[in-house]
Amino acid sequence: MKLFMIFSMLITLPVQLSVVRYNYSYYGEVIHSAPGMNFATYFNGNTAGTTFSSPEDIVVFDDVIYMIDSGNNTLYAIDSDFELISQHVSFPISATYQETLESQGETVFDDLTFNSPYGLEVKENAIYVADSGNFRIVKLNHSYEVIDVFDDIKDATFDEINFEPRKITVDGSERMYVVARNVYEGILELDTNGDFNRFTGVNPVSLNPIEIFQRSIMTEEQLAQLQLYLPTEYTNVVMNDKNFIYATSKPADDNAENIIQLINPKGVDVLKRNGYHPPMGDIQYIEGQNNYVIDGPSSLVDIAYTNDGIFTVLDQKRSRLFTYDSEGNLLYINGDEGAQSDKFSEGVSLAYLNDNLLVLDRKARTVIVYQLTDFGAKVNEAIMYHTNGEFAKAAEIWEEVLVLNTNYEIAYNGIGKYYLREGMFKEALEYFNLGHDRYYYSKAYKAYRNDKLKSNFGYIIGGIVLIAGTVIGFKIRSTYKKGGSILYED
Amino acid sequence: MKTKLKKFWFNYFSFPKYILFHPFDGFDEFKRYKKGKLSVAIIFISLFAFFRIFSYQNEGFLINERNPLMLNSLQEIFSVVLLIALFTIGNWSVTTLMEGKGKFKEIVMMTGYALFPIILIGYPAVILSNFLTLEEMAFYQLLMGLAYVSTAWMLFMGVLNIHHYGLAKTILAFILTVVAMAVMMFFGLLFFDLIQQFIEFVLSIYEELNLRY
Repeated sequence: MKLFMIFSMLITLPVQLSVVRYNYSYYGEVIHSAPGMNFATYFNGNTAGTTFSSPEDIVVFDDVIYMIDSGNNTLYAIDSDFELISQHVSFPISATYQETLESQGETVFDDLTFNSPYGLEVKENAIYVADSGNFRIVKLNHSYEVIDVFDDIKDATFDEINFEPRKITVDGSERMYVVARNVYEGILELDTNGDFNRFTGVNPVSLNPIEIFQRSIMTEEQLAQLQLYLPTEYTNVVMNDKNFIYATSKPADDNAENIIQLINPKGVDVLKRNGYHPPMGDIQYIEGQNNYVIDGPSSLVDIAYTNDGIFTVLDQKRSRLFTYDSEGNLLYINGDEGAQSDKFSEGVSLAYLNDNLLVLDRKARTVIVYQLTDFGAKVNEAIMYHTNGEFAKAAEIWEEVLVLNTNYEIAYNGIGKYYLREGMFKEALEYFNLGHDRYYYSKAYKAYRNDKLKSNFGYIIGGIVLIAGTVIGFKIRSTYKKGGSILYED
Repeated sequence: MKTKLKKFWFNYFSFPKYILFHPFDGFDEFKRYKKGKLSVAIIFISLFAFFRIFSYQNEGFLINERNPLMLNSLQEIFSVVLLIALFTIGNWSVTTLMEGKGKFKEIVMMTGYALFPIILIGYPAVILSNFLTLEEMAFYQLLMGLAYVSTAWMLFMGVLNIHHYGLAKTILAFILTVVAMAVMMFFGLLFFDLIQQFIEFVLSIYEELNLRY
C-alpha cells in the first residue's frame, strides 16, 4: 500500500506541478503553446518584513513598487529586490498646502489618514491615492506629504451619489482620469486643480429594434421594473506614455469584444484589433448554465503595458494573464488559479517591473513575479525589431520562435512580411498562408501575379492569338467546305 | 458517338440554358414533351453536393473562412439531399392541396434543373477565386451572387410553370412550402428525440434487470 502511494504520488506530481499552456489558433481552437512567462519569485508581508492586509493596487515607478492597502490603509514602497523601503499610515500636510488652507480660513492641520483606498497612481512630482472611503483623491509629494485633496466634484452626477473613486491615472499635464463607483457615464476627467472637466470614453448603449418596440408599448410601471440599460462600467485605467488611456471594463451582456479599450485624448477607442480575434481575454467560454463551472467572458480588472505597445490584461475570473501586442495579436497566455505560491487566486492588480510582471493577489496578500521565458523574450524581441522596422532581424528571431513553438502563427506572418519586403513573393505567400494573414497575402499575391504576367507576357499573348487564329481558321474552313465564301455574302 | 455527344450536350447544357432564358416555353416542353430527364436532375443535384465540398476545400485562400480540417463530405452530401428532399416533399404536399398540376417527379426534376446556374458558374468561379486579390474578390462574389439569383429565378419560374400558377399563387406556394419544411423539420426532431428517449428507457430497464438478476 505504501509503495502504491509513493508510486501514485510520483505519477501525479508532475501533473500537479506542470501547467498546460495554451493559445488560440486562427480558427479559435485552443492549441498548445510554449509558456511566454514563468513564475520567478514572490513576495508578501512576511518576506518584506511587514504585514499586508488587503492590498488593492500596485504601481511601479522608477523601479520602486508602490502598493496601496485598503485593509490597514497603508501605502507601501518596496524596492526592486522586494525589500520594504517604507510604509506610511498618516500623511502630514505640506507647507504649501498649509498656506492655501490658511487662506481658506482653516486653522487645524491634522495629519491625513486613508479610509479603504483602492487606487494608486505615481508620477514624477506626485503620488495620487483614490481614498474611496473618505470620498476623495489625495495628492502626495514624494516625501509623502499631502499637497492637495480633491473631494468636491462639481457635476450633477454627484448631487445624488457620493464621489467614490476606485482607480486613478494621471496624464502628462497632470489631468486626472478617475474610475468612480456607480458612475456609468465613463471615465471622469479632472483638471489639475480638481475641477470636473468631462466624461471620456463613454461606452455606448445600443438597443435592438425589438427592444425599442417593446419599450414603446410598455407602461411607465413596466419600464420602471425593467432592468436598467447601463453602459458597462470601467474597472481600471492606465495612462500610457503617449497620454492614451488603456482601459478595461466589465463585459456587457452582448458585447465582450469591447472590454479592452485604448482611449485617445478625444475620448475615442483606438485599440487596434488586427489579430485573429479581438483582444478580450478568453475567446471560447461556456455561457452560463450552472454554478459548477466558471462561465462567461473574462472579467478583466487591470492592464499593464511594457515596451513596443505590448500590454497584458489580468482576468480575475480565471486568474489568467493575456499579453497582446500593439496590433491586437494575442501573444501568450499565462497565470494559473491556485493556492500554491506560483499561482494566484484573486488577482487585483498588475504592473510591469522592467520585463518582469507583478501580479497582486488580494486573497493571498502576495505579489507573484513572472519573468519572460526564452520563448516570451524572443517574441518580445521580434516585436521590438518589427516595430523599429528592422524586418530582417525580426524574421530571424521569428524563425527562432518557431523552433520553440511551431504552432505560433503570428511568427509566420512576421517572416512573410520580411519576404514580401525582399521581393520573394512566393515564399511570402507560403508564410502568409500559414499565418492566415489575408491582407498581406493579397498584397504579395498581386505582386507575384504581376511578376508572372510580365515575365510570360509573350507566351500569354501568343497563346491567345493562337487559339483565336485556330478558331477563326476552322470557321473559315467549315464555311468553305459548306460551299460558302467569306469574301462576299451570297 | 457524335449523336450521343450531341444528345449529352442538349440534355445537360442546351436545354437547361433554354429553360433559364425561356422559362415558359422551356418548362412547357419540359412537361409536355418529357424533355426533362430525371437522370439529368439527379446528376445536377449530385454535382451541387460535390460543388459544396469542392468550394469548401478549394475556394481561394483570401475568401475561404472555413477550417479545412472540419470538412465532412458525408455531412455536406447529406445536408444537400436533406434540403432537396424537404423542399420537394414540402412543395409537393402544398401544391397538391393548392391544385397544382405538377407531379412529384416533375418537382424533383425541376429542382434539379434549377441548380444548373450554380453548377455552371460555380465551378469556374471557385477556380478563379484562387487567382484574385482581395480587392478583386468582388468579381467572385458577383459571379456567385449571379449564380444563386438565377437559381432562385429558375426555381420560381419552375414552380410557376409546373403547377400552372399565377404570380401571387406562386409566392404563396413558396411561403407555404417554407412553412411545410419547418413543420417537417419539427416533426423530424420530435420523432428522433422520442425514439432516442425510448431507446434510452429500454436500455435502462435492461441494465436494471441485468444488475438485479
